[in-house]
Amino acid sequence: MRSAPAVGLLAVATLLAASVHALASGPVSIPAQDVLAAVARRMHIGDHDVTVLTDRIVWQLRMPRVVGAVSVGASLALSGAVLQSLTRNDLADPYLLGISGGGGVGAVAVIVLGFPVAGIVGTAALAIGAFVGALVALALVLGLSTTREGDLPPARTVLAGVAVGLACSSAVSFMVTVLGDRDTANQVLHWTLGSVAGVRWSSAVFLVVVAAVGVAVLLACARTLDAFAFGENTARSLGVRVERIRWALLVLTALITACAVAYAGLIGFVGLVIPHVVRLLVGPSHGGLLPLSAILGAIALVGADTLSRTLVDGREIPLGVVTGLVGAPIFAVLLHRERRRSG
Amino acid sequence: MRTTVSRPVRRRAGLIISALAGAGLLASCAGPPQPEGSGSPAGTDGDAYPVTIENCGRQVTVEQPPEKAVTLNQGATEVVLALGLEDRLAGTAYLDGRVAEQWQEAYQSVPVLAKEYPSKEEFLAAEPDFAYASYGSAFEAKNVGTRTELVAQGTPTYVSPFGCPKEQHRPEVSFRSAWNEIEDVARIFGVPDRGKDVVREQEQELEDVRAESAGEGIDVLWYDSKTKSPFVGAGGGGPQLILDAVGATNVFGGMEDEGWATVSWEKVVAADPDVIVLADASWSSAREKIDHLEKDPVLSELTAVQEERYVTVPFAASTPGVRLVEGSRTVAEQLAELEDLDSK
Repeated sequence: MRSAPAVGLLAVATLLAASVHALASGPVSIPAQDVLAAVARRMHIGDHDVTVLTDRIVWQLRMPRVVGAVSVGASLALSGAVLQSLTRNDLADPYLLGISGGGGVGAVAVIVLGFPVAGIVGTAALAIGAFVGALVALALVLGLSTTREGDLPPARTVLAGVAVGLACSSAVSFMVTVLGDRDTANQVLHWTLGSVAGVRWSSAVFLVVVAAVGVAVLLACARTLDAFAFGENTARSLGVRVERIRWALLVLTALITACAVAYAGLIGFVGLVIPHVVRLLVGPSHGGLLPLSAILGAIALVGADTLSRTLVDGREIPLGVVTGLVGAPIFAVLLHRERRRSG
Repeated sequence: MRTTVSRPVRRRAGLIISALAGAGLLASCAGPPQPEGSGSPAGTDGDAYPVTIENCGRQVTVEQPPEKAVTLNQGATEVVLALGLEDRLAGTAYLDGRVAEQWQEAYQSVPVLAKEYPSKEEFLAAEPDFAYASYGSAFEAKNVGTRTELVAQGTPTYVSPFGCPKEQHRPEVSFRSAWNEIEDVARIFGVPDRGKDVVREQEQELEDVRAESAGEGIDVLWYDSKTKSPFVGAGGGGPQLILDAVGATNVFGGMEDEGWATVSWEKVVAADPDVIVLADASWSSAREKIDHLEKDPVLSELTAVQEERYVTVPFAASTPGVRLVEGSRTVAEQLAELEDLDSK
């Protein structure tokens, strides 16, 4: 096991490097010094001469995307880590509580039924639809799995999530096949595969705030989550109010994930794989696991976004495709190592 | 002593007699009803039949001039309407948008079988003697039936060569290929001269558009659909043909292997096109696209958006087919209008 602070420092440095690389990559080639000049000028550091075009592309198109990718990556990885601990299930991912299903139903409803959400057009309506859908699904899952005493047993919660997820995917299929027209399936596919291409500054700021709040609150719960790892009874004997904390943390991670899904669609593997990678590097203690998951998740998504813009010349590949292509082999390797170690 | 036939023998005999009777009945069952013979409709050259045409790698043989044809997809429907053959249609299906104005009345006179592909039953109820579709997907088992099935039922089929399932059967994307299709269909219906007339008219119209060169020196973005990463007209399809005809430059013309592609807004911002052509379809209207462009903080700063230099083309007139020349003409007209506004 390496020391968490050392890995953390390296991770932050990597994140900065990845972000700068992302800003400098894209279908339009802009030299690195122009990129840095554009950023510095906007942050009021020094005096720089930057063309309108460079500013538009670097600061108004790419920067929000990078900020969005960092926030979404951190949110998803952090949520994944917390959920894996809370449900004591290694396969838990941020979409556990029906978030992906509900978000999908909301987004597809907007696409198919063309819900004009109070005059807001296009991407904003889609984001709101996805978010509302995710919340409704979350409410359903919580309603189904909460016991009379107000407790959320992990096994039951997971099953409720599966049930709601299945109902949501049938609803989506119904809407696409019966109510949709020729292009609907294509649009839905693109939304489902995830992308941060539509993130502009207004959405980027929102995503950063959500990620920051999430990171702050969840980091504060690191010790409590450590207690959970030893089982409910041990946690209770350590003075942890198991039921309340579990409820609160599940809802919080679900909300964070819902915000990410609203703007970026469904991006898989980040929330599932990153926490495992971090555990391999620094061990299961949440003091190191949580912040490092957030940073590594951010790196993963920034890297994936860069790849999605540069892998095929002139074209954009959906983010979910890239994370899947990279994440699946990594997950397979992890499982293989797990198998060798335990057996 | 009374001789009686024993029970088992009687039962066996009874069985044999019933079997023979049953076989006799079955043999006398009529086969499927024969289609009524019909003389050639007025104006067709009955002697030209049977017509055989190569289509998507198979031989299509039409024995008699079709009287109750069914067209699937807008392209096919409009080719038949352009040839003035609406009275030979038994049904149409699956539009992308509004049928062109000049054929509206003719279109309304033909029953619409379904909003998308009709079910097999709806299709059979129209009693078609010929089926014509723009895309090979129309003739899949889950839609109206495979081409082999339909031929066996007495309904020859034709797929627009641009929509052949296998790439090697598709012609190069050009006006000439679209005209070849019109002439083929005219031959199938027994009106080859009408086909030649339609093509000649379009050739002339295209010449006029080319001569006018309304798009000279103009950089154009052909915006088809989608918002996060736009789906645009690239260098190898209907949009490029139109832009070449009007003499304009396609910002994404360098991508020559496909007709359309998903690209990044970055390139659009960098190119800052003079004019944005918007494809208008029922699934992605021009209005929606304009709304997106105007509400987006970065895209609203494009020159074309600030000055509202938009050209609108119905989607059906942007795919290779009978309306492509019309598409070129409407683009040329709108570009000329924008130029006029500029010089005022």
